[in-house]
Amino acid sequence: MRDSGRARVVLAVLLLTAFTLITLDYRSGSGGPLRRVANAVFGPIENAVGDVARPIGSFFSSLGHLSSYKSDNAKLRKEVATLRSQLRLTDAERERLADEEKLLHLDQIAQFRIVAAHVSAVGGSLDFESTATIDVGSRDGITANMTVIDGDGLVGKTLSVGPTTTTVLLANDVQFSAGARLESSQLIGHVDGGGRGAMRFTLLDSQGTIKVGTRLVTFGDIGQRPFVPEVPIGRVTRVVPTPGALTRTAEVTPYVGFDSLDVVGVVVSAPRTIKRDSLLPPSPSPSPPPSPTPTPPTTPPATPAGSTSPSPSTSRTGH
Amino acid sequence: MRRGVLAGAVLLTALLLQAGVVNPLDLPVGHPDLIVLCVVALALVAGPTWGTVIGFTAGLAADVVPPADHTLGRLAMAYALVGYAAGLLEDVEERSVVTTVAVVAVGSAAVVLVFAGVGALLGDARVDASSVADSLIATILYDVILAPFVVPLVSGAARRAEPVTTY
Repeated sequence: MRDSGRARVVLAVLLLTAFTLITLDYRSGSGGPLRRVANAVFGPIENAVGDVARPIGSFFSSLGHLSSYKSDNAKLRKEVATLRSQLRLTDAERERLADEEKLLHLDQIAQFRIVAAHVSAVGGSLDFESTATIDVGSRDGITANMTVIDGDGLVGKTLSVGPTTTTVLLANDVQFSAGARLESSQLIGHVDGGGRGAMRFTLLDSQGTIKVGTRLVTFGDIGQRPFVPEVPIGRVTRVVPTPGALTRTAEVTPYVGFDSLDVVGVVVSAPRTIKRDSLLPPSPSPSPPPSPTPTPPTTPPATPAGSTSPSPSTSRTGH
Repeated sequence: MRRGVLAGAVLLTALLLQAGVVNPLDLPVGHPDLIVLCVVALALVAGPTWGTVIGFTAGLAADVVPPADHTLGRLAMAYALVGYAAGLLEDVEERSVVTTVAVVAVGSAAVVLVFAGVGALLGDARVDASSVADSLIATILYDVILAPFVVPLVSGAARRAEPVTTY
């Protein structure tokens, strides 16, 4: 500890610097110039690392199924012939193809214009944040505050955008909030990410009733920023009793698995009209099925999006 | 000089592995924090002055590397403190594995608490009792498991990069 006097001075100076940075960044809000530079510099490296790491990750996740693989060895032998034809595709590639097909399916029903992307890094910062980096950026026409979806439903929204990468705020982050509508009704409210807890839906109507199993879609914001309408969010799994409150609250299980995101799509433009509830997966299934089929058109055709009943939540932008 | 390059390379690798490989893993409770492991390992060799500088730099980088979305400087402050504290143990003779693991455990806890504490002061909605508890448990547990492998490796490389301390 011979130079701990000098060390203390260095520590004091750097702590002051950190304090100044915190103050400046806190006042200016997130997405300062330093973060934009970091997006441009680290983004391409992260994309490269992500391309290498993705197959490794899916290898480790498939290790969990190893025992079941072993038990039906005989069945596998029969499938060798079929597998041989698919030999050119690795596990990771096939998984990704399935994801992409699902995304394309949802995209076709809704006629969204999307830019497909891979998740190349996941945010943690000591596990407080739920964010992800995707490998498309301003060069692909991405800007801040766009809806991010995958084949199952709502993933999140874009935050800061670099030339080749974009940071996405995932829908299970505490700071996430989006306008939402209960299926086949006009009842609206907002969905908030719960962090470690469950996602929550708040119905802005003390008279309305929420039933367990009801599905939720995004309500859509003015100018379709940040959220386009009709994207499936999840199912109500529990109604939280809130006696005397002006709003009603329910816990929601999202359709999207945030632990295993791979292929996502950023909605760069949406059609002027989307048929109500047309993107929801079939109702009774407890888990989202592989391909969402449109529910029969019982609702009147094509209500103009965004022109539904004016209410407090229309101005909600989910910051 | 060579040690500086080595420290830079180690920290860059740790940052990229953290975001691209470790965080996407679906582990129970949370994830290990590779950066605190590397900061402690480097500071134990470099001493308090350079430990502070290494910690600050690593934290600032972790504050801006893409998916990060929190107030800039929070991690820089946390890692600088840990780098300084670990650097103070530079002269301890005959450091056993147990001591190293203990330093890593205390360092991990300190990083989480400083990061969460500053966040709470700034009104960060992500910081609440359950998220702090989970983050503490996961970071300490996984870092203690990794410490006996990562710390000797990084410290050894740093020591070899500059066999005689000359500052």
